[in-house]
Amino acid sequence: MNAEDVVSRLDRRLSLRRRVATVAVALAGGAVAAVVLALWATEPHLPARTQVAFGVIAGGGLGWVGYGVWVVRRRTPLLALDRVVAGWLALAVSTVVGVVVGVIAVSRGRWELALVGAAFVLVAAVNLGRARAHRAALLRRKRELGG
Amino acid sequence: MTDELLVVRAQLGERNAFADLVRAWHDPLTSYVRRMLDAERADDVVQEVWLAVVRGLPRLRDPARFPPWLFSIARRAVTDRLREEYARPEAAHPARSEPGGEVRAGAVDDAVLDRAAVVAGVAALPVREREVVILFYLLDLSLETCAEICGIPVGTVKSRLSRGRRMLRTEFTEKGFAR
Repeated sequence: MNAEDVVSRLDRRLSLRRRVATVAVALAGGAVAAVVLALWATEPHLPARTQVAFGVIAGGGLGWVGYGVWVVRRRTPLLALDRVVAGWLALAVSTVVGVVVGVIAVSRGRWELALVGAAFVLVAAVNLGRARAHRAALLRRKRELGG
Repeated sequence: MTDELLVVRAQLGERNAFADLVRAWHDPLTSYVRRMLDAERADDVVQEVWLAVVRGLPRLRDPARFPPWLFSIARRAVTDRLREEYARPEAAHPARSEPGGEVRAGAVDDAVLDRAAVVAGVAALPVREREVVILFYLLDLSLETCAEICGIPVGTVKSRLSRGRRMLRTEFTEKGFAR
């Protein structure tokens, strides 16, 4: 096995599209789970079968979140550019979900759920800020080294 | 281009920089692993090390320390496969038995210890001496870097090198390579 063999074997793992796709899947799963859980929490008298269906959907969504977190933490951690792209995606999804959950929560007088939605948006914004700062620091170092 | 710049570019997400990093360090890494293990296991370990590098690269805080970090990963993978050999007690401290055993990079005065001889004889050394001889003599890493990779003090690296040289000298003398 020579260096080129290694490079070609690692190529898929280093793919930006692949990493971002994993993050997108996790975010989509989280968004679905958040909306379904918000509906479930604010709807007082749901039939048992609907509750089971909500549970299955929310569980599936959270399962995708778990898969995404596992991939990103254990298999292909995000590089600086990946983190920024993933950060923007997370902020966009959190904002949309936050608005949807907020509308559901406010229309049913459950303000605390709206605050939870807002907290997710805040966390996503802080995460994006950190990712951008990390990338900026690496770009500075790259320039210092003449790259 | 320096290793540090390559690492920084790879951490930024530049795939061609990571490929250049692999091209720069694959042969030294393979050389170390193949001399520590048999060829059959070596390829698996080298691949495993590069996967670990992919996983760990975003968390490497000091890009200038890439070589010791890379070889620390490789050493862990090798150690996992040589548990029995590493578990054997280390031989007694040899430095006192070899006057002038101080290590001087690039100034080895033993005729028997030219590079080719070391390459040929290194496989017969016990695992602890073998790893420092490979890292220091064959990969030209500094004593400090060898110590960092092996997780031991510099003095211990020196004593293991000294013991390794003594063993190689004995072996080559027996085989008739002596000056």
